[in-house]
Amino acid sequence: MTIILSGLASGAVYALVAIGYNIVFLSQKTFNFAQASLMMLGTFVAFVGVAVYELPWWLVTIAAGILIGLVAAFQEFVGIRTVKEHYNLLVTTLGASIIMEGVAQLIWGGEPRPVPFFLGSDVLDFLGGRVYPVEIALVVVVVLLVVALKQYGQRSMTGIALLGMSEDSEAAQLRGVNVKRFAFAAFVFTGILSGLLGTFIGPKTYAVATLGVALAIKGFVVLAIGGFGSMGGVLVGGLIVGLTEALAARWIGGDFANLSVFFILILILMVKPTGLFARVRERTV
Amino acid sequence: MYTLCILNHETQARIRISLRNGLSLKEEKEGQMQRIRGKSAIAALTASVFMLAGCAGAATEEEDASTSDGSSQEETELANEDPIRVVVFGGIGAEGILANNATTSVTAAKASVEAVNAAGGILGREVVIEVIDDTADPTVAVTRLRELMASDERPQVVMNSGPSTVADAMLPILTEEKVLSFNIGPTPTSGDPAVSPYNFDLSASVPDYLGSFVNEVGARGYENVAILHGSSAYGELFGSQSEEKLVEAGFTVTGNQGYDNAALDMTAQLESLRATNPEVLILDAYGAPLGYVLQGVERLGWDIPIMGNTSVAATGLVTSEPPNGVLGTDQVANLTMQVFKSTKYDASATGVNEAVDRMMAAGDILSSLILAYNYDAMLLMKAAAESVGSLDDVDALAAALLEEPVQKAANTQMISWYRFTADSHTPHVAPEDFLFISPGPLVKGQYQ
Repeated sequence: MTIILSGLASGAVYALVAIGYNIVFLSQKTFNFAQASLMMLGTFVAFVGVAVYELPWWLVTIAAGILIGLVAAFQEFVGIRTVKEHYNLLVTTLGASIIMEGVAQLIWGGEPRPVPFFLGSDVLDFLGGRVYPVEIALVVVVVLLVVALKQYGQRSMTGIALLGMSEDSEAAQLRGVNVKRFAFAAFVFTGILSGLLGTFIGPKTYAVATLGVALAIKGFVVLAIGGFGSMGGVLVGGLIVGLTEALAARWIGGDFANLSVFFILILILMVKPTGLFARVRERTV
Repeated sequence: MYTLCILNHETQARIRISLRNGLSLKEEKEGQMQRIRGKSAIAALTASVFMLAGCAGAATEEEDASTSDGSSQEETELANEDPIRVVVFGGIGAEGILANNATTSVTAAKASVEAVNAAGGILGREVVIEVIDDTADPTVAVTRLRELMASDERPQVVMNSGPSTVADAMLPILTEEKVLSFNIGPTPTSGDPAVSPYNFDLSASVPDYLGSFVNEVGARGYENVAILHGSSAYGELFGSQSEEKLVEAGFTVTGNQGYDNAALDMTAQLESLRATNPEVLILDAYGAPLGYVLQGVERLGWDIPIMGNTSVAATGLVTSEPPNGVLGTDQVANLTMQVFKSTKYDASATGVNEAVDRMMAAGDILSSLILAYNYDAMLLMKAAAESVGSLDDVDALAAALLEEPVQKAANTQMISWYRFTADSHTPHVAPEDFLFISPGPLVKGQYQ
């Protein structure tokens, strides 16, 4: 059971990265490869606030949300809206992730920094296994986040507008949706989310400058398995990736953990090329 | 309408909106151009700032190490001779811990030059060192090395700061150019004189480290051993060779697991090893993965002695107290780690202490002295040159470095005796040159 719980926790972290990818994909039909790096910065803000200055966790969480939101806003302003050709966005977002990693290294160095969790760091006995409190929290947070985002997307005007943009941005624009403002807001929201999650992800992963590299690919794999644009798919994708990694390492061998994940990915894409839960849209040609 | 049809959809939509807002086509276009110019200017300015910062970071620096000791007559005399040029490559601009390790290595190289100059230089000539930031990237290293070899300032000696991928890329060029080199990132062929006759590895090889492990495991009375290693080239080599050596020495390896260096959790591998009931866990881990392993052991409640290799010892997480690390916490209670004797502070080790003082004067020590092999490089070079009586014959210099009297005359500090041989230009470090210590705070590169 311990292995399953640890696999779920890792999967939750990957899913949180994939949620960020998804939001930007829905709003701008592109991927922000700096999403994992934004989360890395969030963990460092959490480290500085909670571990170094011993501030209340909720204050640090809010501050991290604001700070990383500002970073995302800057990235959008400088590296997204100025780019005309869509495929160049992959390059600028990748460049942004490298810059963020470099800045983190300059400020905090290359060593991993432990981030205390506000609910304690002692191992708990839970459902027949052993788990850290932060790992339970990560799973709860990702489920709540997915549910909240789905509901918001379906029931609020903003959410519906965002979904409309993802279907046809031109039509949305002609219907009075300020596409640019919404895209900007969605981008900034992923930054705010990355900051807010710093006090949850940091205790699991440590605050380390290379965290973005570790999370970026796995987040993408989760998205590919779950289906681009599907929040529910992200949850399932995270579960699949986390559990596959853990169970393969335990029962086949550590060297097969990654192989197993990519094998599952290929298998799923062969059966369902758009991912498990992506919506298939008909188009008249 | 015809004009509108040949424009793209986005422009058409914008024009329709502008027309609705009462703007003429011309006014809308002018507004658009102004916005584009403004954004472009901001983007260009931002890019320039980053480029300038990047260029400043990648610049080479030329150091005259002889000036750090003040002006003495000997140094004035040295300065009048044609200086000996040496170069050290290091990934100072690399990411993560690589940068810290490279900085320590480069500092050690500078201190080595300073030490040699303070002792009269090499054959009465001052040594001048140039630092080249290769960002730990083999492509950058090769490019810079080729430029160096084609320039008027060919160095007499080249040192590097690893990793092994950089060494692998540079050594064929250095061999082709017949330049003496000292390498701290061992590769499968870097110590093979048939392949790299002018290169000398300063970093102990995996067999040396493992000899010490076998010694220590036996001394502690263990019989059943489990191994956990990372997915880097070094980690894989450590994993495979440690099993071979331990089995050869009569121990039982109950399990040998690898983990991906980018993974966030090693609990599964640890659980798999725990199921084999070992008495001790031999661990290769570096940076954040070490933290994940310690978390995994704690999560499982596994009370197992852990013997970490020098990669473990080089990770700041276990040598720093909270909030910056886990030193002093339960996570490291069972951990001992392999270090060189020179890496453990000893008040009576005057030579090593002097080396540390020189390094502190020359630059920063950002990791343990495990990365300070380059301090011995110029000492070896000086001894070899004085034995040969010249710096012109690189074959003679390489041959001199194989002689025991030359190696001992060098009075090296990081490793007391390198034991290079005609068959192997790698150190053959005896188990007695290593210690297994509990984690402690790192001060000036030495465990206290």
